[in-house]
Amino acid sequence: MRVFSFHLMPYPGLPDDYDGPAWVTCPNQLFDPQLGTQLYNRYIDELVYAEELGFDGVCVNEHHQNAYGIMPSPNLIAATLARETSRMKIAVVGNALPLYDPPTRVAEEFAMIDNISGGRLIAGFVVGGGPEYYSFSINPAFAREKFQEAHDLIIQAWTEPGPGEFIGKHYRLRYLNSWPRPVQQPHPEIWVPGAGSVETMEFVARHRYAYMGIPYFHFSVFERTFGMFRDICREVAGYEPDPSQAGWLTPIYVAETDEQARAEYEPHFWYWVRKLLPGITIQPPGYTTVRSLQNILKGAAHFAVNLQTWDQVVEGRYAIVGSPETVTEILLDSLERLETGNLLGLFQLGSLPGPETRRNLELFSSQVLPKLRERFPDGVPMRAGVDAEVQS
Amino acid sequence: MGLVTQRLETQVGTVEVQRGGEGPPVVYLHSAQGEGQSLMFLDRLAEHHAVTAPMFPGFGESEGLEQIDDMDDAVFHLLDLWDRLSLEAPCVVGLSLGGWMAVELATRYPDRVGSMVLINPAGLYLRGHEIKDIFGRPPGELAEDLFYDQSHPVAQMMHALNELTADVGKQIEIPFEMVKPIVTTMAATAKLGWDPYLHNPKLPKRLWRVSCPTLVVHGAEDRLIPAAHCTYYADHIPNAHQEHVARAGHMLPWERPDELADLVRQFIRRN
Repeated sequence: MRVFSFHLMPYPGLPDDYDGPAWVTCPNQLFDPQLGTQLYNRYIDELVYAEELGFDGVCVNEHHQNAYGIMPSPNLIAATLARETSRMKIAVVGNALPLYDPPTRVAEEFAMIDNISGGRLIAGFVVGGGPEYYSFSINPAFAREKFQEAHDLIIQAWTEPGPGEFIGKHYRLRYLNSWPRPVQQPHPEIWVPGAGSVETMEFVARHRYAYMGIPYFHFSVFERTFGMFRDICREVAGYEPDPSQAGWLTPIYVAETDEQARAEYEPHFWYWVRKLLPGITIQPPGYTTVRSLQNILKGAAHFAVNLQTWDQVVEGRYAIVGSPETVTEILLDSLERLETGNLLGLFQLGSLPGPETRRNLELFSSQVLPKLRERFPDGVPMRAGVDAEVQS
Repeated sequence: MGLVTQRLETQVGTVEVQRGGEGPPVVYLHSAQGEGQSLMFLDRLAEHHAVTAPMFPGFGESEGLEQIDDMDDAVFHLLDLWDRLSLEAPCVVGLSLGGWMAVELATRYPDRVGSMVLINPAGLYLRGHEIKDIFGRPPGELAEDLFYDQSHPVAQMMHALNELTADVGKQIEIPFEMVKPIVTTMAATAKLGWDPYLHNPKLPKRLWRVSCPTLVVHGAEDRLIPAAHCTYYADHIPNAHQEHVARAGHMLPWERPDELADLVRQFIRRN
């Protein structure tokens, strides 16, 4: 079991009377650079703090032109973290490959971070969210083709001696010769986030990468998603998946008591649902195949943007909130049911302020994390009987 | 008299083609809405013409979208259709996206277009007269731009779809059969017109190559494509003139089938 602290770097300063989308067309006059200076430094501090508290790593990700996550370049943050930390993993989950042209830049920047950090990078490759295709005017009808081709290009840049040549449909490089090369050989561990697209799961399974379930769904959606991923590993790729190949991302908040936790957390959670999620689900044309959209739509009604009451949040495990005992109990049960070997916790969400975020991280690491490590000493949460079921 | 749906093998795959009527040949190229089935305008045209209405790959039951990346491929697909249907130089009638496709064909292969009717055509970028977004907006909002008369059954359906999707608290599951055609047709449209958005920057400097008589028909209440686009085509295609149809929006063939069919028939008779 590896435990990561994931930060979205949300913008908490949208005015009360703003009810538009947080994505693509959210007016950038609403961004206050004075607040921005405070936020970036505070958020970086919160990420750095995770090392001191004993986390296995931190995660950052890429989103553009939005208030949900003001991290258009996660590589800048990862480079900063590479200098400010010395032990833990730095997972960039990920770079949206079709947004880099040529994607050589991803091979180069990831290799730089891997060099600066002494081999601590986890390289995330992502197709990019639907809104990104509007924000960058990249044709979504070629999203999958470009992702696939950019992936092949990056792997070639990292694993084959250069100079080489890469001639594809979308990218043509007569001299592919990435300087620097990554420290981790043959290349850093690769994670791919996905929202239930069958093609993405097949891709991850074939390459034996790790699949990170895109968060904010009802717990039952994750059970189905990770079950599908394991089935695809077995049936399409022909091997038994390792739990380290799956990661579950979920908001977590720990306080002394259940009542206190809810009281402190709830307003910031609803800021996130009502201010920052609207617009995130936009599906540009051609972005997913009909086959995958069918699967994604099954989960659509169970997406957090539809939440109305706190009871729904608790019932669907949209966020794990409570005393150390409550959070431990729910996490242990969830991890056993999902069989994911990576837990990616969001300890800051929406407008949750700095002091609460730090105390959350402290309580989690001192009172919850040890129990997770104790239960899963080999890092492998497996339900008793699962193997037998598989073999029968 | 209705049209009959046929299946036709083409270089990119099997496509759906509606055919009917006798007389001088007319080909209808549909818009991003994929209209064509039981379109009264085509029935009217078929009273005096041999009408052919192909469904572009990704629309209706037509296959082969994976073979098409851009307008270049689209034009070669049209040439393939023309050859397989023994159409030498028909009158090409196109709405919006279909109008743009007709112009692309007529600039590159002028001898394969006998005459041309462009109805609220896309294809141009005119600063200050931008085409509104068709990709990122709720269907009900789009209907406001597409139809003069919001009580048209298709407009009503789009408004209904809007209400279904807008109330997120309802947690409804939209039937997949309803979503699928929208998904594939919009994917096809994105391939041709996501970026550059519904235009070809090289088109203006190629318009001089159109050699056939051209009629530009403008729906006076079109709120999707500003009037300046029709006027630009009419002014820059060598042998073109423009007609305005009152009380008609972007989806003119749906809203004014009789009037449009009369215009097309008179235009063909004159040439």
